[in-house]
Formats: sequence, structure tokens, C-alpha cells
Amino acid sequence: MRTRGVWKAVALFSVLAIVSLFFIVPLAWIVASALRPASPLYEYANPLTWRTFIPSKITFENFVHIFTKLDFGRAILNSLFVSVSTIFLTVIVASMAGFALAKFDFRGRQLVFTIVLITFMVPFESIVIPLYVMIKQLRIDNTYWALILPGVANGLAIFLFRQFFAEVPSEIMEAARIDGASWLRIYWRILLPLSMPAIVTVIVMVFMFQWNSLFWPLVATHSSRFEVVQVAIASHRSTENTSWANLFSSAIAGSLPPVLLFLFLQKYFVRGISGTGLKG
Amino acid sequence: MRRLLVLMILLTGVLLSATTLEVLWMGWPKDQVMQLINAFKEENPTIEVEIQLVPFGQLFQTIEVRLAAGDGTPDVFIVDGPNNASYAARGYLLALDDYYTDEEMNDWFKASIEEGSYNGKFYSVPYGTSSAGIFYNKAIFEEYGIPFPSESIDERLTWEEIAEIAKKLTKDTNNDGIPDVWGLVIEQIDRPYLLFPLMQSLGAQVLSDDGFVSQGYITSQEFVQGATFYWKLFNEWKVSPQGVSDSAIAREYFGTGKAAMMLGNEWNLRRLAQYPGVDYGLTPFPYFEGGVAVTPTGSWHVGINSKTKKLDAALKFTKFITGRDAVVTWHLLNGIAPARYDVYEALPEVFGNAMWQLFFNEMENTAVPRPVTPGYSQYELMLREAFNSIHYGADPKKTLEDAAIRIDRELRRYR
Amino acid sequence: MFRNNRVAWFFVIPALSFLLLFKIWPIGVSFIESLTMTSFTGKKTFVGFENYTYLFKYDPVFWNSFWVTIVYSVIVNPLIVISSLLMALLLNGSHFFTRFFRTVFFLPTAISFAVVSVIWMIVLDPYYGLANSFLTLFGLKPQPFFSSTAQALWGLIMLNVWRSSGYWMMYFLAGLQNIPEALYEAAEIDGASTLQKTFRITLPLLTRTMSFVLVANTAFNFLSFAPVYIITKGGPIGSTNLLMYESYKSAFVNLDMGRASAITSILLAIILVFSFVELRLTRAKFDY
Repeated sequence: MRTRGVWKAVALFSVLAIVSLFFIVPLAWIVASALRPASPLYEYANPLTWRTFIPSKITFENFVHIFTKLDFGRAILNSLFVSVSTIFLTVIVASMAGFALAKFDFRGRQLVFTIVLITFMVPFESIVIPLYVMIKQLRIDNTYWALILPGVANGLAIFLFRQFFAEVPSEIMEAARIDGASWLRIYWRILLPLSMPAIVTVIVMVFMFQWNSLFWPLVATHSSRFEVVQVAIASHRSTENTSWANLFSSAIAGSLPPVLLFLFLQKYFVRGISGTGLKG
Repeated sequence: MRRLLVLMILLTGVLLSATTLEVLWMGWPKDQVMQLINAFKEENPTIEVEIQLVPFGQLFQTIEVRLAAGDGTPDVFIVDGPNNASYAARGYLLALDDYYTDEEMNDWFKASIEEGSYNGKFYSVPYGTSSAGIFYNKAIFEEYGIPFPSESIDERLTWEEIAEIAKKLTKDTNNDGIPDVWGLVIEQIDRPYLLFPLMQSLGAQVLSDDGFVSQGYITSQEFVQGATFYWKLFNEWKVSPQGVSDSAIAREYFGTGKAAMMLGNEWNLRRLAQYPGVDYGLTPFPYFEGGVAVTPTGSWHVGINSKTKKLDAALKFTKFITGRDAVVTWHLLNGIAPARYDVYEALPEVFGNAMWQLFFNEMENTAVPRPVTPGYSQYELMLREAFNSIHYGADPKKTLEDAAIRIDRELRRYR
Repeated sequence: MFRNNRVAWFFVIPALSFLLLFKIWPIGVSFIESLTMTSFTGKKTFVGFENYTYLFKYDPVFWNSFWVTIVYSVIVNPLIVISSLLMALLLNGSHFFTRFFRTVFFLPTAISFAVVSVIWMIVLDPYYGLANSFLTLFGLKPQPFFSSTAQALWGLIMLNVWRSSGYWMMYFLAGLQNIPEALYEAAEIDGASTLQKTFRITLPLLTRTMSFVLVANTAFNFLSFAPVYIITKGGPIGSTNLLMYESYKSAFVNLDMGRASAITSILLAIILVFSFVELRLTRAKFDY
């Protein structure tokens, strides 16, 4: 029995390893290029040699340059601040709405759900001008609020919570009601702790959304103290000049926080109460 | 005691008069731009400059959204030359005739003033200009026994001659079906900026005088003839690679010896330093046998928001940043061609060499600015798509005719 | 289902306020925009559905764009959903390497779509890119990729699969956590194979997650166009001219907000139709 398990694991590992090559290979080349002193883009890509993926001389100068001369550290901090703030607000606000949509049959439910769906079916480009005008009228342009608040209007997060909450057995909540618990208490003390996978997923979702936003920060804020990560990365390309070394190093440095976040949150992908099979 | 009071009043006056100027700028490297901003601050301590550097890929959209709010910000913004007409026509730019003396206007190239003007008024101040030519790889020319073409503006090669050279220099040495060396690579493969001179050399006019009609102009016999030559480069003679979608990649091809010639801009004199392996020469932008010599030109300008509430500060900043000293510093940092005569005079060690001399002469003598029309961005985009399709093999005449219909429908809205 | 209007609205109001203010209001403005024609001086005239009729009847590029978009979606959506589901199923265990591979598959998502587009553009360079270097190493012919009308759309599809699979995998992983271990144990006692367990237990219990991923992924793929903007610009010869790219050009280059908004309204209608079908197909067949 145990050897069968081991063989299965080996087979699984091999399949995963082969598939992951598809994902890793282009990135490995980019990483190698970032660790090389600035050189022609295709120098090591063609023809293919081991040097394509392993620099003969490893240097961190490209990374040092973006942090010391181009203020990349501040861009990262800004994006972290905006992302984390948005996460806090969105998780609370969206989970509350998801709770109502999943567990309550109330007047206007269908309308609210339709509104929730529509909000992520319309592209940002078509609402950017009216949104910008509104931000200006609310006098929050060129502040962190301009970056955070519109991000909280996230229909996808609400939709996700709704789907997850629908799977949580209502009996637990009924029992709590009978015991005299308020709805707020049920939401906070019973529902949320059972929904860690959903919460973690929304955390990553919202983080990625804010972390990857490029156009809105350019429109909503203009002071350099608000510069976000994607703007810093995008600035290395233009018709007149593209600095591949800076582009690669900032893209890699800029992708580390999301990856670390994902890695860290893995441990919360644990089975909720339904997962453990404990039911009424 | 009284002196202290006076001092305090003066100080408060100074502090109260501190203005914050909002500037929307192109996403050039921050460390370079800040050198100019800090220099400005030293001269103008009461003006706080908040400069936003927008990446090129998002620049025009960001400007559109910011201006659409109509509240006078940004106070000063970067204007890509041909878009001057569009911003001016929509009332976004302040007319600057009252603020510039004739003497000051003499500082710039005539083509630059033309680019920054609309309907007889001066709207955006020239910040840079441009020119282009053919860069060639000396080693490859030597290897195949082609004599080096001349740098002199008087010894311009024709397109026919360039095509011949390109054919000789497109080589597939290892017989895998893909050339290892291409005869010619075009830095911005489908952009009208670089391609207009071909048609104009044959005598074509690229847009109607009023700037609203392309039918009959981009569909004229001469224009189609130029476009057909362009088509042949990729599809008949196959001397130029299709699908080089990024100017940095085109530069890479030339810089690493994969292309014998590159039709490219003056900024390459700086950018090719990234490729120490290539020993290159420069020869004038070609013309067609029997036709006129035409070169492209035009680049960035600086405009002031028509609704700005800080006109004084805006003018000070604009005059500073486009003034001789700032442009000298900027050229040394960045490398684009200055639009001011006195910068060329101030840096003889840079501009004295033969290559810059060539570009300078072209800008003075053969440069033709892009057509002035408020609908330039849509005209250019659709024409660019047409050129892109043509280089991939679509029939030039038909593609241009389809494009003319679409362009004119868009431009009709401006009449 | 509980019945309590006041409590339900209490929980809904905060999110709804954000949605109404920052999404629904601008969406409404944008829709009104699609019913107007703006002269370049900024004067707006109400023209009813003229923008729409022009698109359907006279616009020379709309229908090509429409079909390119539909073909793209019909291929890329199932591909992404299947690949991310497979990844999640394979990585649902707790081997020592599970966390590692989950992170590896997630890596491309950590990079923005725009930067991923730049990476693919240079990796798939028709002459000197990394991809062709691999092909020639194995003796295959180098491919034109984005410079071929036949391959460009597939290039976009693969780019999207590459970037998005890890992302949707995360949602499936979350959904898998909700499936009671006891069910698998019971099945094993009955002698069920892995395949049977997957089809009889896992998939049916994943329907809610599946409907979420299907609907969200569909919307994303109709609305994103970064690779077109950066790499192909709609070409070669219109073969990758997605509707959203046409809308974008109308809005920011042609300054024709009417046409831009009309196209996005049409896209919204298409997405709603697709979503409706998807939600129907993945109706949860049971309730807790």
C-alpha cells in the first residue's frame, strides 16, 4: 500500500515538473537577464545555450539602480499601503453583502445581485472619465482615498463571498439564533471563521487588483509621492528608449510581494467546517 | 520691534505667495528630470513644482482624461507635436503669442514653430525636434564589398539604390530559411512619421490643406506608389523583417549586427551606445529618383492649460524648461534633438560632428512637419494600421482606399 | 434562507453604496454617452441608437472584430477553466512539493498583464526570440507567432492561459477545501478509483466555484486587451482586433465616446448572455 502511494507521488511530481517548465522557462530567462549587466536583449536568447538561463557574471546592479536612483522602494510601499487598505475595507464590506445575498431572501435581492454582476462586466476604460470627474468633485483626487475607495467597489468579491457562504450550512446559524445571538455576532463569530479559504481568496484577489492597476493611479493622483508599482515599471518603455535591464529588474522586484503573499496565505487553505464533515 | 513685525509680514507674504504648479510630463527617467526641476526651484523658490512622469504607453490617454475634467489642471503639460492642433482646437491650450517676443521666436526652427501653431496662433512651445536617416553597419558593408555611403547632405542615395544594397546584404548564411542579416530594418516599422517622406518624395500630399480630407491624398497615385515600394521591401524583395513591433527591437537587430541598415531617428546617436559592438555610419534619408528630398521632423512641445489659475508660475516654468540652459542640460542627459538654435551653438563638441551636422542641415532644409489637423491622432492611427497591414502583405491600393473612407468619416466630425 | 428585510439590507448597504457611487453611476453616464454624438468642441447631441445602428450596419470593422472576439472567447475560456481546474485537482494534496508548485503556477499572475505582454512579445519574436530558439534546437522550423494571421490569435490565447491559469487555480483550490473529507473516505471504502471520486464527488461539489470562475473569467476575457494594445495592435490585418480594443481606440484616440460606449454596452450584453448560459449550466443541484 505505501509503495503505491509513493509511486503516485512520484508520478504526480513528474507531471507537475514538466507542466511547470512551460511557466518557468520564460521567467527564468527574464530573471537571468535582470541579473546580468545591461546587454543586448537577444544576446543569450539565440542560439540557446546554458548561458541563456545562467548568467556568467551575476550582478545585482540593475536592482540596486531602480531602488537607489529611481525611487522604486517608494512605489512598492505605496502599492502595499493602498492594497492593504483596500483589502481591509473590501473584505468587510463585501463579505457582509455576500452574506445577505447568500442567506437572506429579501426584497430587491435579484436587483442587487444583478447590479453586483454588472459592475465587473463593464470595462474600466469606459468609466474612467466620469469616475475621475466624480473624484474631483468629491475633492479626494490626488490623495490615497482616490486610490483606495473606488477599489472597494468590487462586485467580484461580493459574488465570491456569496458563492462560498451559500455552502455554509444554515443550521449552524439557526441554532445560534435560537441561542439568542445577534446577526452581527453570527456573521462575525460563526460565518467568517468558517470561511477562511474565501477570505484568503478575496485578499489575494483585491491585492492583485490594486497591485496591478496602472491607468487609474495615473489619472487619480499626480504627485510623485503617490507613484505606484506598475507606473514605475511601465516608465521604462517608450519609443525613444527602452531600458530592458530596468524593466526586467523592476518587473521581478514588483512581482515578489504578491508571490510572497500567496505563499504565506497557503496555510489558510484549510478545510472549513463543511470540509471536516461536521454537520448538524 | 517694528523691524521684526515688518520681517514677519514679508515672510508671510513670501509664504502665502508660494504657488504649487501641476505639471504633467512624459515618463522620462526621474533622476534626469529632477535635475531640471531642482535647478528651476533654485531660481524660483516660491514655486513648488509637482511634476508627474507618465509612462509613454499611457501618456496620451492620461492627458485626455485629466483635460476632460476641465478644471485648469494640469497647469503645464507635455504636448506631442502633431497633437498640438487637437488640443488647441478643443480649447485646452493657452495661446502664447502675447507672451513671446519676435526675438524669442527666432530661437526655434521654423518647422517647430509651425508644429506648435494652429490657425495662426502659437500654442505650444518647442521642446525638442527630430530627424532621421539611414544608419549602416560598416563591418557588414565591408564584408560584402559595398562602399560606405556618404554622410554629406549633398550625396543622398535614392530609395532605388538603397533597395539594391539591401538586396545584396540580406543573407541567409546557414540556410534555415530565415535571413541572418537583413538588408534594412525600419525603426518604427509602420509609423506614418517615418513613412510620409517616401510618399512626399514622389510629390504626394498626405492630407488636404484644411486637414479634413484624406481621400484623394492617401489614395493618390504617388502615395500608392510610395506605399507599394514599402510593400515590396517586406513582400517581394524580402529585405526587411515583418513583425518588428517595437522600436527597441528594431534597434536591437541593428545593434547586434542582424540588420545591415536601419532607417531611424537621431536619438540613435545616443541609444546605439548600448551596442558597443556595432561600428556604424550615417547617410541621409533617401529620396526617390527624380523626386524631392524630404525628411521627417517634429517632437515634443510644452503647453499651458488655457484654464490655468497660475499663469505667472506656468509661464516661468515653461520658459525655463524650454530655455537654452535647461535644454542644454536636457540634451546632455537624454539625447533628443533640441529645437533651439542656440543649443547647437552652445555644444559644439557634441553637434560639431558630421552626423549631427547632417541632422541639423536636414532640419533646416528638407524637413517637412506632419500635417496640421485636429484629427491627427485618429488619422495617424488608421493610417498606421493600413501601413501595418500593407507590410504584412495586404494590397496597398485597396488598404489605403479602405483607410481613407474610415479616416474621412472620423475627420468629418471636425468640420 | 432567512427572511428579514431589515437585517439583509443592513448587511448589503455598505457594499451597495460603494458600488452605486463608484461603479453604477459612471456606468450610467457611460451608457447615456452611447446614445449621444459628441462634436469635437464638446457639444453633445442626443442621437438615440444611431451609434449602434451604425456599428451593426455600416461600420467596416465592427463585424470582423465581433467574430474575432467571439472566437477568442469561445476558445480561451474553456482552456483556462480546464487548465486551472486540473492544476487545482493535482495540487489539492499535501505533499511536500504542493506549496512549491502552487506558487510556481501562480507566478505569472503576480506580473501585470501589460508586462506579461511585453515578455511574450520578446520571447515570441519571429526571428530571435527564445521560443524559436527552442524550436530550432529540436530541429523544428521557427514560427512567425504574432506576425502571422493564422497564429497571432492563438498567441494571445496561449498568453492568456499562461498568465491566468494560476490565478483561477487559486479559486478552485479554495472551493475544494469545502468538500468533506468524509465523502472521499466513504468512497474509498467502497473501492472508488481516483477518476470516479473526481467525477462523482469533487466536480459536482465544485459547481458553485465553477460558476464563479466561468462567469468571472468570461467577463475578464471579453474586457481585457493589454496584449493587443502592446503586441499586435489588432493585426496582422485585423486578425486580433478584439472589440474592447476597438472601443479603447474610439475612446482615447478617436475621441468618439459615443462609439466607444456603444461597443462596451454591446460587450456587456454579450457577457450577460454568456453568463446566463453558464449559470444555468452550473446550477447547484443541491443545497446545504
